Amino acid sequence: MTTVRVKGATKSFGRTTALHSVDLDAGPGVTGLLGPNGAGKTTLLRIIATVLAPDRGEVTLLGRDPSRPDDRKRIRERLGYLPQDAGFHRGFTVFEFIDYVAILKEMTGRRARHDEVRRVIGLTGLASVSAKRIRALSGGMRRRVGLAQSLLGDPDLLVLDEPTVGLDPEQRLRFREMISHAGEGRTVVLSSHQTDDITALCARIAVIHQGRARFTGTPAELTAQAEGRVWTEARRSPAALAAWRTGDGTYRNVGEPPAGADLIAPTLEDAYLLLMGEPELKVAHS
Amino acid sequence: MTAWHLDPDAIRRYAQGAVPLELAASAEAHLMKCAACRGAISSYVDARRAEAIWHEVVDRVDAPRRSWPERMLVRLGVREPTARLVAATPTLRGPWLLAVAGVLALAAWTAQVDERFLQMFLVVAPLGPLAGVAVAFAGGLDPTRDIGLAAPYSGLRLLLIRTAAVLAVTVPLVAAAGLALPGSNWLAAAWLLPTAGLTCAALALTGRMPPVVAVGVVATAWVSVTTPAGLAGRLDLAFGVGAQVLWLAMAVGGGTWLAVTRNTVTTKLGRSA
Repeated sequence: MTTVRVKGATKSFGRTTALHSVDLDAGPGVTGLLGPNGAGKTTLLRIIATVLAPDRGEVTLLGRDPSRPDDRKRIRERLGYLPQDAGFHRGFTVFEFIDYVAILKEMTGRRARHDEVRRVIGLTGLASVSAKRIRALSGGMRRRVGLAQSLLGDPDLLVLDEPTVGLDPEQRLRFREMISHAGEGRTVVLSSHQTDDITALCARIAVIHQGRARFTGTPAELTAQAEGRVWTEARRSPAALAAWRTGDGTYRNVGEPPAGADLIAPTLEDAYLLLMGEPELKVAHS
Repeated sequence: MTAWHLDPDAIRRYAQGAVPLELAASAEAHLMKCAACRGAISSYVDARRAEAIWHEVVDRVDAPRRSWPERMLVRLGVREPTARLVAATPTLRGPWLLAVAGVLALAAWTAQVDERFLQMFLVVAPLGPLAGVAVAFAGGLDPTRDIGLAAPYSGLRLLLIRTAAVLAVTVPLVAAAGLALPGSNWLAAAWLLPTAGLTCAALALTGRMPPVVAVGVVATAWVSVTTPAGLAGRLDLAFGVGAQVLWLAMAVGGGTWLAVTRNTVTTKLGRSA
């Protein structure tokens, strides 16, 4: 079942084209957008979150057309969104802020709304800080507050822009756990430039680079594209597009291997590096 | 332990909430100590009523205390969700209000020093409330703008709530500055209808452009008209009786247009949503 369908989406800001005719389909489960900073992931996610409208192309969300005001409202009632640089009214406490977003989500009955606020606070492990002012929280806890507000109303579509950015390893693991849980029975579309997040969470991925979708498929399919193109050597291979020294002292080389190279199993990161474009990698290497 | 127990009739009536207050207090004091009576009362308790009371108690204890602006608004009869939305309006924060007050005080002071600068106050006065409306939706100042844009809450309703809140705070500021002006008293009120007209015009334009741009267009038009008129000594062109009727008509027209199109026009709170 497809709940997010983007077809030929193009979006420009002045002279800069952020998206060039991008297609994306997503259904229940976690779909990841992978790409470097400035690739167009945030623009695509803002379109899926109904914050932006594409200049050209068709978008269907939860079976509705977001360009129509009635449909857009219905979509927003079933949508949760965590922006990349989610801001907060810093004077609000955690409870007050999530309550404020619940009001924007048209939960007007005080008791039912407060119950829902408590539910998402519990889900994201914020119960012990619910009365604290947001300005007193760490970056990781603030990110949790952002995730909590996106879960209000148990949305069918969850759009998360770089949910794990700025988190320490433990917090990232906790976040993965929460997002994985959130992806059960609903559609989650998230962006990241961390391949390990994508590997851990996503059933499907789209690699976005310079405003274009360079790959769509499963992480295993992307990884398979690097089969036979990753090898180890005692030194940096001149044939490699990218190479780095590993913990055991050998070099992991990615590119076109020389004859007789000691091939090893590729990772998603290897495949991502190969997909991102050889000229840029060569420049970096030189 | 106690040898005395509540009689079954008292227990039943207490459980139903049908005993006088003093007897209820006495029964409660006993129930706290007597396991036997607590056991006896459980069969009489209406589980749904008990759950509703418990739920309300938890909510009252657990929910944070409202901030003083929210409490004040609720006392004035504003609904609790609306009070929370008003409290989050960026323009109502101290630094911004201080800036507006500072500009107005400067304009009033210059007019005191030299009456030729009176026109400056009249040109600046409507810009304070107008800027407040724009800033209430400026991306850089509303930290939750994207979250709000992706929420189903009506853009027009939010726009009107924030505009009303901004006007309720900034208009008295301008009025206070106006009272400090030298000369004729009409000057202290001459900016009111222009402010109303310009604000309604800006709100009406939000069906076509974001609030910040709408306010920019209206404010630019205002300054372009009033500055030359002031320099030519013809302030009556902008503030005379005829002009006041025009501002009133603009306010009524803009308000009517908003009311008529409220269900058909999407207020552009964001870049293109």
